[in-house]
Amino acid sequence: MIDRRVVVRGAAGAAVLLIAAELAGRSGLIDPVLLPPMSTVLAGAAGLLADPEFLTDLWGTVIVWATGLLTAIVIAVPLGVLLGTLPRAELAARPLVEFMRPIPSVALLPLVTLLIPYDHGVKITVIVYAAVWPVLINTMYGLRDVDPVAKETLRSFGFGRLAVLARVSVPSAAPFVLTGVRLAAATGLIVAISAELVAGGTDGIGAFMIRAGSGYRTDLILAATLWAGILGLLANMLLVRVQRWAFRWHTERTGA
Amino acid sequence: MRRLRGRTFIIGVAATLALTACGSSNTGSSASGGGLEKTTISVGVLAIGDVAGLYIANKKGYFKEEGLTVKPEILQSTQFAIPKLLSGALDVALGNYFTIISATEKTNDKFRFVADTYQAKSDVFDIVVPKDSPVQSVKDLKGKKISIAGLNSIAELAVSTTLRVSGLDPKKDVTYMPMAFPQAPAALKTGQIDAAWLTEPFLTGVQKDMGARKIADTMTGAMADFPIAGWTATEDWTKKYPKTMAAFQRAILKGQQAASGDRKAIENVLPDYTQIKPEVASVINLGAYPTSLSATRIQRVADLMLEYGYISKKIDVTPLLVPLPQ
Repeated sequence: MIDRRVVVRGAAGAAVLLIAAELAGRSGLIDPVLLPPMSTVLAGAAGLLADPEFLTDLWGTVIVWATGLLTAIVIAVPLGVLLGTLPRAELAARPLVEFMRPIPSVALLPLVTLLIPYDHGVKITVIVYAAVWPVLINTMYGLRDVDPVAKETLRSFGFGRLAVLARVSVPSAAPFVLTGVRLAAATGLIVAISAELVAGGTDGIGAFMIRAGSGYRTDLILAATLWAGILGLLANMLLVRVQRWAFRWHTERTGA
Repeated sequence: MRRLRGRTFIIGVAATLALTACGSSNTGSSASGGGLEKTTISVGVLAIGDVAGLYIANKKGYFKEEGLTVKPEILQSTQFAIPKLLSGALDVALGNYFTIISATEKTNDKFRFVADTYQAKSDVFDIVVPKDSPVQSVKDLKGKKISIAGLNSIAELAVSTTLRVSGLDPKKDVTYMPMAFPQAPAALKTGQIDAAWLTEPFLTGVQKDMGARKIADTMTGAMADFPIAGWTATEDWTKKYPKTMAAFQRAILKGQQAASGDRKAIENVLPDYTQIKPEVASVINLGAYPTSLSATRIQRVADLMLEYGYISKKIDVTPLLVPLPQ
């Protein structure tokens, strides 16, 4: 469970930052024309929760982000298991992976936009593209790091390759996979909002920011940014909880 | 073993290359409705004054009267409308004449204007400088950095035309800084740029917030009443959905008529689709909302683009226009 002291300390850290930002605005250190004072931004952020249009936009981002992340998991986990257990396949796939992984997925937007005649589909595609790699790589390395003694023990008791995979390799790689998912969740949110900012769309936090920008409302852009951060924070908290709950044995063993 | 590994690696490389070499083709989807071929259309818009006619038509139910549902999709710039129109993600989009005419030259004549939507008026696109700037006239811009909304765009055409009138050479005498409108006020304030080419609501914003001064109205002389943007579709789309197109055009016409006759109608819809504050909406300068698609007017854009080398050959705009059937 999450320690109460940790929450208090985290809140204190955030408060110090917010107060510093407010003081910088009030004292004239930062020109209020360029950057509205933090209290204005916070009030704007609170006000956005009562704005049905912003809620539609928030929901739009959550939908493409979640769909993209789930699709990435469905693709990357089986592929990672396959490549992690078959070294020769991994070797053959490596150039492809190393070629594709560094391509920034937002740079693929013009191409994907041409190919997919559906606004959410375009965004989900680039999110999947970015989110697949952390899950895939973590799954592969998780499988490679499986305790060889445990595998050999099962094998010497006459278990086949698939049984060893199901009973030892996959369970012991699972915590790594979830770490990959956490990384992918963060990347997915970044890509979702970047794609909305670049390509626009029917909804999304990024589309809201475009509207706010076109209306000369820096305060609303920052308020929406705040909600994007909160969204990422909530997702990470959720995944940490899942990790602690599902892999108590792992936490105890590694003391993490 | 090493040889085998080498071979596997080569197979991998070959597979990579084969995959990247694979092309992909895509054909548009088809849909059918009652009298119209399509009853719901996606329309690409920008969150700016240009598209007020569409939102008025939507609010007053003109699209509904035609049996049409319009789903607006916010675009970052009209440049992104081009791939979305080609893929079929958008049926119609706001296209600025400059961008679409240059795209026409590059895409084999694929785009059609189905209605005019926005035309410049005085003080809708101005060059401004900070309050304490030494720049007093266009001539003083020599050696300065000017932000424009995009290179190779209506922004560059407008500013370059203004500079030429004052005897400056836009290629040698100034530096253009491509910058989206929302970023320009901050850049002007910090001194990253010396002057900015802005439109509303930024023009009113910088004059009010930081006392910025207007140096020139760029839509004068050769560019007075210049056509800015029109509703754009692909040629295929106009042929495939003629009834849907006509329904859209009729509703837009009513929206444009309402917008051109009554400023209050525009002020009423601006807060619906932009984040412009209502008190700002009531003071900003707006362009004109034409109610006809005139070849003579739009030909001016192509001719001026040719004169300054933005296109390589003369383009007759008449075949690009698909006006509402009379």
